[in-house]
Amino acid sequence: MLNRSQQPELQAIHKIDFVKPQQFDITSTVKLYFMKEVANDTARFDLYFDAGTVKGEKGIPSFVNSLLLSGTQDKSSTLIHEQIDALGGFMESGISFESAVTSMFCLRENVLPLMHILIDAIQNVAFFEREIDELVQDKKQGYLMNLEKVSFLAQRGFQQRLFHTSENYSKVANLDYYETVSSSKLKSFYRENYLEGLFKVVVVGNLEQDAIDEIIDTIGKWSKPTTREFETNIQNLPGNTHIEKEGAVQTAIRLGKILFNKTHEDYNDFVVLNTVLGDYFGSRLMSNIREDKGYTYGIGSMLSEYNKFGYFMIATEVASAFKDATLKEIKFEIEKLQTELISEDELALVKNYLLGQLLKSADGPYSMMDLYSSAQIHGFDFEFYNKCIEDLHKITPERIKELAIKYLNWDEMTIVTAG
Amino acid sequence: MIEFERFKLKNGLTVLFHKDVTTPMVVINTLYDVGARDESEDKTGFAHLFEHLMFGGSINIPDFDAPLQNAGGESNAFTSNDITNYYDVLPAHNIETGLWLESDRMLSLAFTEKSLEVQRNVVIEEFKQRYLNQPYGDVWLELRPLAYEKHPYKWATIGKEISHIENATMEDVKAFFHKHYNPSNAILCIAGNFELEEIKRLVEKWYGDIPAGIKPARILDKEPKQKEFREQIIERSVPSDAFYYAFKMPERRDPAYYIVDILSDALGREKSSRLYVSIKKEKQIASSISAYITGSLDDGLLIISGKLNPGKTFEELDEALWEVIDEMKKTTISKEELDRLLIKIRTEKEFQEEGLLNRAMNLCTFELLGDANGINEEREIYQSITPKHIHHYANEILKQTNCSLLKVKAINNAE
Repeated sequence: MLNRSQQPELQAIHKIDFVKPQQFDITSTVKLYFMKEVANDTARFDLYFDAGTVKGEKGIPSFVNSLLLSGTQDKSSTLIHEQIDALGGFMESGISFESAVTSMFCLRENVLPLMHILIDAIQNVAFFEREIDELVQDKKQGYLMNLEKVSFLAQRGFQQRLFHTSENYSKVANLDYYETVSSSKLKSFYRENYLEGLFKVVVVGNLEQDAIDEIIDTIGKWSKPTTREFETNIQNLPGNTHIEKEGAVQTAIRLGKILFNKTHEDYNDFVVLNTVLGDYFGSRLMSNIREDKGYTYGIGSMLSEYNKFGYFMIATEVASAFKDATLKEIKFEIEKLQTELISEDELALVKNYLLGQLLKSADGPYSMMDLYSSAQIHGFDFEFYNKCIEDLHKITPERIKELAIKYLNWDEMTIVTAG
Repeated sequence: MIEFERFKLKNGLTVLFHKDVTTPMVVINTLYDVGARDESEDKTGFAHLFEHLMFGGSINIPDFDAPLQNAGGESNAFTSNDITNYYDVLPAHNIETGLWLESDRMLSLAFTEKSLEVQRNVVIEEFKQRYLNQPYGDVWLELRPLAYEKHPYKWATIGKEISHIENATMEDVKAFFHKHYNPSNAILCIAGNFELEEIKRLVEKWYGDIPAGIKPARILDKEPKQKEFREQIIERSVPSDAFYYAFKMPERRDPAYYIVDILSDALGREKSSRLYVSIKKEKQIASSISAYITGSLDDGLLIISGKLNPGKTFEELDEALWEVIDEMKKTTISKEELDRLLIKIRTEKEFQEEGLLNRAMNLCTFELLGDANGINEEREIYQSITPKHIHHYANEILKQTNCSLLKVKAINNAE
């Protein structure tokens, strides 16, 4: 007779087989990372630019990023899109504080022709007035729509206070951004940060070496050596702020503080603490605030990483009546971690969960490449993750408590609510 | 080509096995042939509420998530108007924990009052977060009953109104489970690096003794053929006017489904599509516009939606939009344009099939449609479509009398 109350025996993970991408020098500072181990015909390439939002003022970096395919003297934006579509390419463009990335997803047979179209488009943006006006109008509409969302309002208020001491990181959009755009400002940002700002190329796909050589050759003519610099010592402004939003049926909460990234000695262990608190479905915050109280559809905590620092954040949207109750429960859960040792069982569960997630992050060429990238940014190799596995097997309940006391002091938190 | 094996247990459970020697993970995907269309009109939102309860403990296992997380895995689920789909992704060597958990909740749930009470609240918050507390969030709650008069697609998976969720009782929940959650109403797909014999042995071990139950008959109200243009205007506190044109289209199993899919791509999928170029780029009437299909199993919808630029009117849009549609109906599209649409579909499908979880989910969906091998036949079906087919269905579908239009009028602009 089958015993259904007994969990089948488990095996732990001790080793993960990482596949390292090949690395080529395009220039002395610009590298190409190539992951060839793809089983089907898909491919992707990413161009990284030193053109993040901190590099420019009043929305200029974001406008330029959105105008990369807006047309050249020879081709309209519609023609560029037609050519990309005719080769089955899906383009994505994204911007964060510290960089901008343009990615192309396609079949491997179309990588080279698509790359030539994309590079031509990006290197020769004409900045037509009509395209600029259209984009600014669209962005303004998007901005007005965001103002209706409590999650946006809370996030924006949080950003201002989290990066309190840094003008570049704390600035947020306002209506003025959409009234003062001049093409000369766009062009100069574009020249400085795109034409001279390419700093990394990633290629995933089962391509021959010839194709890689051609990519290196084409991009080699373009890229200039770049040295990238970033702000350090940013400090958050602790304390509570509420942003009033009339008619909202939910309140958004953002709570956190400036912390560190992978380069810090406490990083690996802090990841475990963060997971226990709020980074998986069975976390303390989810168990208490969603699964026990039903105040919210979801609550989570995270550690966000940048080149020189990171930040810790808890985010949720709750029924407005439960705003204060939720904050009280968050505080309760943090203090519990600071005063009570986590049980061996719960810690073992989180360790096993994290090992399983790491195994999953290394499943398939695209995940593997992304996993490598997030270590490479900080100057590490897959060795970083092997160390992770080692640290995971070693971590103790005492260590979790120690880190909760050291890094999750309630009085140091920036707390923003909107609703 | 996605290879798979199929076998059936005595209790009626259909099992698909997809072997992938490259992955260290296993996916266990379970599709239950039940969705919001199977709800009664006075108890909507039930299939979805029930999905939440499936994580609230089963007959022999008090907690679903913790044992799975202990095995290094994670799980999630979604409910649509047609199906409810659950998946677990975990390290392959711990496959038995996944089978143990999934089979126990197919056998029976714990049905605790606490779980029902909490999940009612969670779903109400989900209702608010996704449908009420977002600009344009309630559009589908309005558009569905406009486009459908009889068929249960007239309500959204989240439910018609919050009170239906508030009023759900334990009896309702139990009755729903016994009717829909049994082996004969489920399709299981396991994907990973295993041998077929091992999968057969493990599935028989964990699922073999679950009572068969009866596959519930599905008798839905058939949507009568639409004969008139429908229009509704709602006023909302949103930054810009928005429009949703919904045209009835054939069901998923109809070969014409694929033709209408391409038709919608030609109209408004990409930045080189007809509506985008004409109405956004050239005439600058809309700040965004796109066309897509709902992809539902019964008669679905082709939607054209977008937002107006400031100072532009619904009338200007309407005229420009029908101009594009009339052009589509008058002339056949070029080979070049069709090829452009087809290669996007091929590329997209190739990316979908790169992921193990997608492969497992799609195999189950195609099995529900009649044959899992449909996953391998789709590409050929698309390739066989000609400009003539598209021309025919443009005239069939894109008619005023087949259209329901929802306009969202912006009031109290934030400016």
